Amino acid sequence: MTKLILLGPAQAQKRHRARSADSALILPVKAGEAPADAALAAAAKAARFTGKVGVALAVPGMHGFTILAGIGNGRAISDWEAGGGAGMAAAAGRAQAVLLAENASSEQAACFAAGALLNAWRFNALRDASKDKDAPPAKVTLAVAKPAEVEAAWARAEAMLRGVRFARDLVAEPGNRLNPASFAERLRGLRDVGLKVEVLNGKRLAALGMGALCAVGGGAEHGPRLVVLGWPGKIKAAPIAFIGKGICFDTGGISIKPAAGMEEMRGDMAGAAAAAGAMLTLALRQSPAPAVAVLALAENALGAASYRPGDILRTHSGKTIEVLDTDAEGRLILADALSYTAQRFRPRAMIDLATLTGSIITALGHQRAGIFGNDEVLTTALMAAGEDVTERLWPMPIDDEHREVLNSDIADLRHCAPAGSGAWGGRFLSDACHAAAFLREFAGSTTWAHLDIAGVEAREEAAPLGPKGPSGFGVRLLDRLVAMRFERDA
Amino acid sequence: MPDITFVKPSLPRGGALVLLLAEGAALSGLAKAAEEATGGAVSRGLEAAKFKGAKGQSCTLWAPGAGLAKIVAIGLGKADALDTQGAENAGGTALVAVQQERDAVMAADGLTPALAASAAMGARLRSYRFDRYRTTEKDEDKPKLERIAVAASEPTKAKAAFAPMQAIADGVFLTRDLVSEPPNVLTPAEMAERCKALEKLGVEVEIMGPREMKRLGFGALLGVAQGSAQEPRMVIMKWIGAPKGKKQKPLAFIGKGVTFDTGGISIKPAGGMEDMKWDMAGAGTVIGLMAALAGRKAKADVIGMVGLVENMPSATAQRPGDVVKSYSGQTVEVINTDAEGRLVLADVMWYCQEKYDPRFMVDLATLTGAIIIALGHERAGLFSNDDTLATQVKEAGSAVGEKAWRMPLGDAYDKQIKSDIADMKNVGGRPGGSITAAQFIQRFVNGKPWAHLDIAGTAWSSKDAPTVPKGATAYGVRMLDRMVADHYEG
Repeated sequence: MTKLILLGPAQAQKRHRARSADSALILPVKAGEAPADAALAAAAKAARFTGKVGVALAVPGMHGFTILAGIGNGRAISDWEAGGGAGMAAAAGRAQAVLLAENASSEQAACFAAGALLNAWRFNALRDASKDKDAPPAKVTLAVAKPAEVEAAWARAEAMLRGVRFARDLVAEPGNRLNPASFAERLRGLRDVGLKVEVLNGKRLAALGMGALCAVGGGAEHGPRLVVLGWPGKIKAAPIAFIGKGICFDTGGISIKPAAGMEEMRGDMAGAAAAAGAMLTLALRQSPAPAVAVLALAENALGAASYRPGDILRTHSGKTIEVLDTDAEGRLILADALSYTAQRFRPRAMIDLATLTGSIITALGHQRAGIFGNDEVLTTALMAAGEDVTERLWPMPIDDEHREVLNSDIADLRHCAPAGSGAWGGRFLSDACHAAAFLREFAGSTTWAHLDIAGVEAREEAAPLGPKGPSGFGVRLLDRLVAMRFERDA
Repeated sequence: MPDITFVKPSLPRGGALVLLLAEGAALSGLAKAAEEATGGAVSRGLEAAKFKGAKGQSCTLWAPGAGLAKIVAIGLGKADALDTQGAENAGGTALVAVQQERDAVMAADGLTPALAASAAMGARLRSYRFDRYRTTEKDEDKPKLERIAVAASEPTKAKAAFAPMQAIADGVFLTRDLVSEPPNVLTPAEMAERCKALEKLGVEVEIMGPREMKRLGFGALLGVAQGSAQEPRMVIMKWIGAPKGKKQKPLAFIGKGVTFDTGGISIKPAGGMEDMKWDMAGAGTVIGLMAALAGRKAKADVIGMVGLVENMPSATAQRPGDVVKSYSGQTVEVINTDAEGRLVLADVMWYCQEKYDPRFMVDLATLTGAIIIALGHERAGLFSNDDTLATQVKEAGSAVGEKAWRMPLGDAYDKQIKSDIADMKNVGGRPGGSITAAQFIQRFVNGKPWAHLDIAGTAWSSKDAPTVPKGATAYGVRMLDRMVADHYEG
């Protein structure tokens, strides 16, 4: 894994020169400002490089190999992150990158480097990466005026980075390697950073009355798990709670999915991965905020013991649910996790993350996740945090019609609208809103928000803050939210 | 349609009597008179039926005495919480309960004159029926109601308050008629012809045919129309209502009027295609809105414009892959001929800006199925480049029970409609489908404040609501009338 070395400008330049054939020098450039070096300024002009945020220009042959990285007006930390990321992308294939940020503030410099390292993440556990000609530089140096003063800011950024990498790695893992048992095992490893880890399975889940989680995970070889991660913090207050959907692989169950694209369902645990990644970040940066994550892990498999459309499940809350579509399983396992979290931890706020519906992709595309909830203050805070870290959200409604659809003839409620119902043969169901209306029933009176992250959990194409593939969406957002709102006394 | 009159409170000698009763309030006024005339039958009946006056509660007392066929009690909820919508809903509920009587008296003597008028408005709105194609309906199945006398404590004031409401209801009915008409009757030419009815309200009506539009260069609109035997039309309606000395640039409302949408060569599935007769609801709404504004002599200058076409597959129809040149000069690659509404709006909106330089533009269109997947049927999607305008539209809608939900726009979405060979393509794929449609329209907004209402989910209703019988809703007429009244008549 790429590590960052913090150095003063002279030493960093020396490092670059020592391996100049294989090193890249990355310079942040503000919009409308020319680089101080006349030759670089001329190159920027010739290439019509404007310093636009997230746009980089490679200038081979100048000081070895120089990259100009646009940071726009440089006011937001996200400008520096995007600049660093774009610069790093342009350095692909070289062994070393040296980021020159001696004129930046500590926070800006740390963000510049963090952007670069977010860009440099790869999932190489299952292939021979030495053949990758476009591999990101393995050695990254950040040059700042006074390295000692940047250390604290970098420690915070690095905590975030490790959380994101942890989440991305989990999302990238295929279903044959990451099942509920092995997922729980990897989460046990978080004890090393001071998190308390509890793994509930089999009989414990049944004894707790988690009929929904047990049913969804019951068809798989590896049964379901509920993993609880705890961080004590320092503040005497109820914890903030993250709830994650962790479907290690989603076949759809008896309501099986079409074959095309089913491989992407290895990422249907991205909500749980993001919640775990955020906990890791909080622990690494010793956040004063008490936090807890409750991760519902299951494989929605097709088998002789699978649950069926028509089944009625008794949830942890006591409410019964009529199952119509076994492929709407995420909301079922979240139902148990939400009421369990609310009852056991009485959290200050409860935020669930789930790759829940295709409907949210039709609504908001891959550019934003949908946010639903029962508390405007929490929704607004999450949206602001999302803007800061460029994990953008858009508020979505829960209306009476969305709840009415869930009325069941024989149970307390059903979990989705019947297939084919509604106008035009059911081609236009607002399933994301239906799912949110369903979850609201299990959040009860607890302050709650639900992030439907289907469509943003993986990037369709490479971007400054990461390659194509798992994005780790949610880790940075939750970390930012906690830092902004939950680190003072309640 | 029953006549509505306002009278002083006095007990009728026959027919139906409607009592509008607040929760927990003692019988007074006309209700008390009925109680006395029937020897206590009212309180006996209401008590037996456990009627408490809760909002939406209703109860019918048959042959209660005093010569009355029935007394219908409608609950208003708490008296001090009664608002315009509550009064309208009570009036609408009352209308249904007395429809089989010839005469009804609605006792609104406990309400303010304004709320009594609102109750009358509710009854009026609910009384709508589209029955011109029924020839064999049995008499006993038809509504009999001829007159509703609204008994008000100050009938003159209530009547004065009702006058503008009646004009708005007329506009709503015009829209519902247009939207309900079958597509073999309501062709573009016929729909344009019906706009002429607005002339007697003082609206200037100008109709353009294909030759003029061709001369102007409406390549986008004409491309959609070219597959149909029915000629397209554009209708411009002008209402000049601003007092002399208070003239400002006009307000502009633009509607999509696809009188039938087969999808064209990109033909739609057969199931539910009959609904595509109401793919002209945006235009129908603009026409009804103009009738409402002129009918109540709104003190504003308003332009209403509608683009009317039929989208047919035929030997002359446009093909996927065609490139058309819009009136703005921008070229469009037509990827999907079923994304035709935006092509029609493109030319009409650009013309509107060139010719009338409006203060703002609001367009309405049954534009995308994606908006139903996003929001369902309770709210329209609202897109805007101007927060003030968006807020005005949204709040006016909330005030009249036509709800909208703001949806995002942005460059990240706009890039989905980049074309390889033209200035843009007409679809951006499934993700964020309504947003990319709005982005397309925004490319034809030339620096004006603009709002776009995607009414695909709200133009037609499959179930009755208190003031809106199932079928054509005329969503948007009351909202935009209210917006004009609240902000642009000062």
